[in-house]
Amino acid sequence: MDTIMHISHLKKKYSKHEVLKDISFDVKKGEIFGILGMNGAGKTTILECLEGFLKYDEGQIAIYGQIGIQLQSSALPAYMKVKEAIALFAKWKHTQLDEDNLQTLGIDDIANQIYKSLSTGQQRRLHLALALMGHPDLLFLDEPTAGVDVAGRRALHEMIMQCQKQGMTIVLTSHDMNEVESLCDRIAILRQGEMAFIGTVEELTQQFGRYYYIKVHSEKGEKVYTTQHIEQTLMQICQDYQKQNLKIFNMSVNRGTLEQHFLAVARRNEI
Amino acid sequence: MKALGYGVYLQFLMDIRSRSLLITCYLVPLLFFLMMGSVFTSIMPKSQETLMASMTVMGVSMGAYIGLPPSIAEIYGTDIKKMYMANHIPAYFAVLSLFLSAFIHLMIMSTLIYILSPLLFNAICPIHPVFYFMMLILFVLVSLSIACILGLVVSNQAKLTMVSQIIFLPSIILSGIMFPTSLLPSFLQTIGQCFPATWGYLLLIEKPLHLSNILILLIFLIVALGICYVLLRSIRSSFCHFK
Repeated sequence: MDTIMHISHLKKKYSKHEVLKDISFDVKKGEIFGILGMNGAGKTTILECLEGFLKYDEGQIAIYGQIGIQLQSSALPAYMKVKEAIALFAKWKHTQLDEDNLQTLGIDDIANQIYKSLSTGQQRRLHLALALMGHPDLLFLDEPTAGVDVAGRRALHEMIMQCQKQGMTIVLTSHDMNEVESLCDRIAILRQGEMAFIGTVEELTQQFGRYYYIKVHSEKGEKVYTTQHIEQTLMQICQDYQKQNLKIFNMSVNRGTLEQHFLAVARRNEI
Repeated sequence: MKALGYGVYLQFLMDIRSRSLLITCYLVPLLFFLMMGSVFTSIMPKSQETLMASMTVMGVSMGAYIGLPPSIAEIYGTDIKKMYMANHIPAYFAVLSLFLSAFIHLMIMSTLIYILSPLLFNAICPIHPVFYFMMLILFVLVSLSIACILGLVVSNQAKLTMVSQIIFLPSIILSGIMFPTSLLPSFLQTIGQCFPATWGYLLLIEKPLHLSNILILLIFLIVALGICYVLLRSIRSSFCHFK
């Protein structure tokens, strides 16, 4: 598979705080690539550097093709109608919107509504439709389904998969692990500006499938521990809680979900 | 060019839909014109000579300084700017379409005052209508250019209302449209000369007609457009699309 985007040794500082620390990765043509991380891990910063909204301090970004962008927070003039927005953007991009895309995203039904009357889901669908104009080779989606209801989410997922079938490459950020699992071919997990993991969802599961997740519900609240050595860890937890005079109400052990694997990488909460 | 033309047409429609520009460009200036027209002409018959010019200067100043800047700040101070730039719409588009649309609205409003003044209040028409409209165009362009600077610099709507009033109120009080500037103390006359409304009013009443008055408005226009250009360049350079 050819590379459509190459990032090497990317660094970005906000005054003295280093937000991106030597990030390098490639995105292959035709894949859906997810960028994950806790809040403040650097997801939006890296995406804004890739989109060209933010100047980076060091490193290189090479993108081979046209890009389309759906921003996390974007808006249009309150009194602009949906069909007018489509016509305006089409004129500036010297293109027309694919009728199939309009139908898949359910834009037909809201064509005569003004922007401020649209729900969050409808606004997201419109933003995606506008980003898709001109058939970009690479599409950036920053939390595309945040605040969207189930039906809207499904429509957006269908559209994203349809874009991939048409040969588009998609780079997205998301907090929804189900979304990541069902859409992404590969993921990158950022931890405090560093690349903590890069690979497929299966590779993440294989790597962390060896781990046990121990959920302890005590007087102090709920805490999750990740370990490979179940017996020693259980003993150690019990001893620690006894030392602190804390009552344990409930304790459960499982082999982990994708969300737990992600948290293990993103928080590095192994003991 | 097609895209820009469509954008101006769209902006014109949105201005009418939003009603905010409708109020500041038509409703308030025309109501003020009807009210002050009847008051001025009944207590000071001589005001028939200057009514058309004074009400036009008031209407243009209101539409430009109070009406336009919030619409510009709504785009450049919010995510709309980012959305436009992410979709290859140039940084100048929004301000230019708003400028041109407001220009059309203000010219319509001024033409209404031009037509209604003699009919309703026996106001005296300008001797040279073509010259009057040329000067009106110049004055509207200057006022809108200054309004654009306000909208581009001040993104906070609350602050913008305050700053707009700082330009609008002296434009009305110190320009001579309400009472002769000769009644003002000299330092207030000097302050009044810092506002385009003073020069616009002098040109619209056609006396005294000096080329220097036109030149001063032209300087206002060139400087304001230059500042707008610099502001738009800095907005564009903040979006560092890599090659």
